[in-house]
Amino acid sequence: MKSSELVQGTLDMLILKTLALEPLHGYGIALRIEQISKGVFRVNPGSLFPAFRRLERAGWIKPEWRPTGNNRRAKFYQLTTLGRKQLKAETEEWARQLAAITRIMRAPAIGNL
Amino acid sequence: MFDLRSIIAGVRALFRKKQMEREMDEELRGYLDAAVKEKVRSGMNQEEALRAARIEMGSMDAVKEEIRSAGWESTLETIWQDLRFGLRVLRRNPGFTAVAALTLALGIGGTAVVFSLLDAVLLRPLPYPYSERLFRLFPLEGKRKRGVEQASYADFRDWQRQTRTFESLAAYGGDSLNLTGTAEPERVQASTVTPGFFATLGVSPVLGREFRSDDAESVAILSYALWQRRFGGDAGIVGKPIHVEGRAYTVVGVLPPEVRFRSHPWATPASDIFVPVVPTPARNWHSVRVLGRLAPGVSKEQALAEINGIAARLKQAYPESEALGIAFEPLAQYVVSGADQTVWLLLGAVAFVLLIACANVANLLLSQGAAREREMAIRTAVGASRGRILRQLLTESLLLASSGGAIGIALAYWAIPLVVRIAPPFSSLFSRLEDAHLHLNWTVLGFSALLSALSSVLFGVLPAWKATRPAQSSFAASRAGGMRGGLMALEVALSLVLLVGAGLMMKSLIRLLEVDVGFRTEHLLTMQVSLSEAKYSTPEKQAAYFDQVLQRLAAMPAVLSAGTVTDLPLTRNETSNGFEIPGPHPGQGTAGYHALSAGYFRTMGIPLLNGRELEMGDSANSPLVGVINRSMAGKYWPNENPVGKTIVVYRFVAERTSAGTHVQFKPHMLAIVGIVSDIRQLGLDAPPDPELFMPYDQWPAQEMSLVLRVAAEPSSLIPRVEKEIWRVDPDQPVTDIKTMDEWVAREAAGRRFILLLIGAFASIAAVLAAVGIYGVASYGMRQRTHEIGVRMALGARGQQVVWLILRQNLSWLVIGIAAGIAGAFALTRLLASYLYSVRPTDASTFGLIVLVQLAIAALASFIPARRATKVDPMVALRYE
Repeated sequence: MKSSELVQGTLDMLILKTLALEPLHGYGIALRIEQISKGVFRVNPGSLFPAFRRLERAGWIKPEWRPTGNNRRAKFYQLTTLGRKQLKAETEEWARQLAAITRIMRAPAIGNL
Repeated sequence: MFDLRSIIAGVRALFRKKQMEREMDEELRGYLDAAVKEKVRSGMNQEEALRAARIEMGSMDAVKEEIRSAGWESTLETIWQDLRFGLRVLRRNPGFTAVAALTLALGIGGTAVVFSLLDAVLLRPLPYPYSERLFRLFPLEGKRKRGVEQASYADFRDWQRQTRTFESLAAYGGDSLNLTGTAEPERVQASTVTPGFFATLGVSPVLGREFRSDDAESVAILSYALWQRRFGGDAGIVGKPIHVEGRAYTVVGVLPPEVRFRSHPWATPASDIFVPVVPTPARNWHSVRVLGRLAPGVSKEQALAEINGIAARLKQAYPESEALGIAFEPLAQYVVSGADQTVWLLLGAVAFVLLIACANVANLLLSQGAAREREMAIRTAVGASRGRILRQLLTESLLLASSGGAIGIALAYWAIPLVVRIAPPFSSLFSRLEDAHLHLNWTVLGFSALLSALSSVLFGVLPAWKATRPAQSSFAASRAGGMRGGLMALEVALSLVLLVGAGLMMKSLIRLLEVDVGFRTEHLLTMQVSLSEAKYSTPEKQAAYFDQVLQRLAAMPAVLSAGTVTDLPLTRNETSNGFEIPGPHPGQGTAGYHALSAGYFRTMGIPLLNGRELEMGDSANSPLVGVINRSMAGKYWPNENPVGKTIVVYRFVAERTSAGTHVQFKPHMLAIVGIVSDIRQLGLDAPPDPELFMPYDQWPAQEMSLVLRVAAEPSSLIPRVEKEIWRVDPDQPVTDIKTMDEWVAREAAGRRFILLLIGAFASIAAVLAAVGIYGVASYGMRQRTHEIGVRMALGARGQQVVWLILRQNLSWLVIGIAAGIAGAFALTRLLASYLYSVRPTDASTFGLIVLVQLAIAALASFIPARRATKVDPMVALRYE
């Protein structure tokens, strides 16, 4: 299956959404996005990690080092209260935009009339 | 994004950099591990999984770089890194850095110098509050409604009474006055002003008050400078008498130091003393300039509408008046009249120099870029993004421009006083520069900094863009060659335009100085004497004074002959007036009116062509006689001999009454007794006009110039001459003591100033362009060393190799020269008003300059080409 580039600006929202269920580490988030989108979206680390840094700076997610067995640890990210609010706002905005775009796409093509 | 949280996080990241890096490493490693584990779980073997995960992840360093640049603090860090690295790069190539920085210094420094002129002349506001509301009002006359500099006093009073849109109107005039008394007699610049003049300007005296309408006629206000210089800053000066024109004037006020008022824009120096305007009721006697302060909130359109109404009413009331309307212009504009054009012209010229400098450095950077291709490739390979490299290169450019700018500012610091010193005196440019006390200031420094930044973009962007392009292909290489050639052509074109401009100015100046003035200028000493009205009240007294002075001067051993005249040639002074030709075919004309002594023509060396000279016998009691010049004879008596003819001339008479000074012109019959040859009267560039010369015994004047033909070096005689004149009257100031050659030099000073500056810019431009051509040619040669080696090994001769290198540049050179010729054709007309007897498209100048430019280009490309022939084929072949 061909994977697509993410729609501009939606990565942050997808990360927040993924973290809404449970805290995850970097690869976990990437994998979750890929699985849920049935492989349509593939996120590479080059955009994933800067996004973490951005969201962290904004105070929407919070990192936490957790042990992962055999004496290793991983950086898990979890949603903050602020992040939850942001996710809600972004979800609503997304729904609104999506509806609008759908309406436009369904409208009869004037040129063909 | 710049909220507090982000700032704190950024600062923390800066201070805990090591820990942040460690955690980032750990996180990324964890990511990789997890990816591998996941892939193994879905059926890959360990090795395959690791490979796949690595491919997915891409360059670990690139990812880290992305993460680092997500926070703002990384920008600071990269700037710092870029700066340090840039400095290292520049230090590593001292030759390149020196050439580039010096080139930029010439461009930026030159521009800073001209900008400082622009700042002083145009940008600095007048030293009066709300000066944008100050206007000069003037009458319009004649069929074409020509603006006239001065208005009649009577008209001014009517304007003043009727206007509402102007908060206040005041009138002023220019004069110079003799100051006597305590110290040596001196003649000072003066302005006559009406009551309320300083209030209109918005100036209040530091001592005393300004003029009131109930003031007596003999009151004076002093400039701060005169007060300090002549009266030692006497705090009790107000109320004391000073001796002006032989009369006692009471000082009523002293002006603040920043007020340097000039009765007209090129009056030099600024007025030192102010006395009341003497009212003249005659409406046809234009004697005052009018200053107005627009009321707050009134637009120019409203003022114009009102002023037009006033003009129409006056026209109705005084149908015989010549005034047809009234116009006004901002005082700030009047004050710079003419200088603005000069300054913009120079700024344009120096902008060309800066562009050439930038093109040159861009070319140097392009060649450098070729040498740094490997470095760029490595940087890209280890994860530097294109933007990152671009930024690095632009930082280097900025560093280069800053060092160039710093040297340029040092150059400007040294050059600005030099330019001020050669500024032509008696011009509005000179006045503005003098008033500004021009030196390097913050405005100029700020401008230079801005200019450096701008030029770094100008010369840096192209090479940086090129360097970050994945080149290697021959297509890209040839395009870079085109860029280099194009830049070179640009330099050639711009410098050609400047050279043509300089050439035209040079030719003008040569033509101007070659003008036959009609008399011998060498060994002539001239000076001016202006008699005080109070002391020399009658024509007889005035004539007697000059008789005595001339006798004494002529008797001096080194003096060959002495004469006196009202308007000395080449001093831009002339009084012209109308005359009438009576008889069966009456006619009228205009001529310059001059009063002179019998010895004037002999002293000047002006030959008599016909009739007789003026003689001692032509006295106040004998019939009026005059000598005319050849132009006057040719214009008004083209087919007959004017000697013996009679004309009607008009004598100006001023009568003082209680109502003011009544002026009128009284007709007199005058017999023409001789014709002299033409001379350049008004100025070097002014073709001869009709002139009429009359004996001063019959045509007395208070203000006369003395001319001495001397056997010694003229200026060495000055102290003795002064002493001799003071023997007649110790209170009489003698001013403008100059040799005739100095007057000639002053006549040429304006064009000389333009020539010196444009010439300097053109020379710099030519040198920079030559360096540019040389650079391109030698780069081309280095690029083809291998090829040249092969060719020479196969038997090519030196000549052929030289041609090979020359040919490479030739087409770009031709394009540059063609563009330069076209540009010069389009632009030299901006010079037109500065040229003398040379057309802006003068073919011989264009031709000569093109030859010069070709010679420079040939030489600059020949040197590297010649070096190419010295290449040892064996070395060249091993070169790769």
